[in-house]
Amino acid sequence: MTTRTTRTTRTRWAVAAAIGLLAAGALAEVVIADPFRGADPLSFEADLGTGEVTRVADIAAADGLPARGVFVQMTGGGQLCLWDAPSAWSRQRGGGCNPADDPLGGSSISASLAYEGGPGVDGVTDARLVGLVADDVHGVEILMTDDSRRRVRLSRLETGSLRLRAFGYRIRASDLKRGITPVAVLALDSRGVEVARQATGLGG
Amino acid sequence: MRRLGAGLAVVVAALVLAGMAYAGATTYSGPRAWSAGSSAGSSYSSGWKYNYFFKQGSGYDTTVTFIDNVTYSWHATVRNTSATTYTYWFVSNVKRGHCRAHTGSFWGSCAVVN
Repeated sequence: MTTRTTRTTRTRWAVAAAIGLLAAGALAEVVIADPFRGADPLSFEADLGTGEVTRVADIAAADGLPARGVFVQMTGGGQLCLWDAPSAWSRQRGGGCNPADDPLGGSSISASLAYEGGPGVDGVTDARLVGLVADDVHGVEILMTDDSRRRVRLSRLETGSLRLRAFGYRIRASDLKRGITPVAVLALDSRGVEVARQATGLGG
Repeated sequence: MRRLGAGLAVVVAALVLAGMAYAGATTYSGPRAWSAGSSAGSSYSSGWKYNYFFKQGSGYDTTVTFIDNVTYSWHATVRNTSATTYTYWFVSNVKRGHCRAHTGSFWGSCAVVN
């Protein structure tokens, strides 16, 4: 009798353990498993063909390199894209997109570094930083590898209910020649205190 | 009947592959979990123009670039924390798309389009 009871208890425990494992597996599938199902590049590209592209800041010509612009685009699919491009209609652009209802991705700053050449600094022929910051950010500085800082000019951006500030900055050729490159973009308040930073940098 | 079925399957598979080739989109890595410092590359082609890093959300620091097959230099490189990092490089050179994660613990995928 005792042996049978022990066996029954063991069987029950085994069944309970199996159910527990199955439940844990199902929970893991829901909670831990891939929350990101990928994106369709062609649909994404089609969405980039919608919405107006607006110039929000300038990157001046310098060191023999042509002027460029900083552009924002509110797409029909609900994305706010930030571009570094020669012109509003140019396809030769680089940048990124966030949901329009969270254009800074939960931060006070959203910056994008673009460069040609590399990955080593000695091979880089042009490097630029563009970005958007919250309206209450009063200054933006670029922290360089030698701990020096480069102050950038902010432009106001008002479109619909969106109130942001934009900037564009070309890394000086003299800095690149000396191996001095950006490591972070800093957002400052009215007292010059850092309120947010975004890491950046060339290569890996 | 069995031969007819097999033939139809081959035709359908060929149509699907032809459709993918026409569309010209190739997801070369993911969707998968990314760790800091991990990277991936597409095959080499003269046709690639766009390179994307699609992420589960904003705040994950990533780079996309094109690497030519002669000097292996990087071209039209873009690095940011946007939900999608995007670049475009339209030249006839043979190149591959390359993407890299600078921060970890997120889900994402990299794709090239011609």
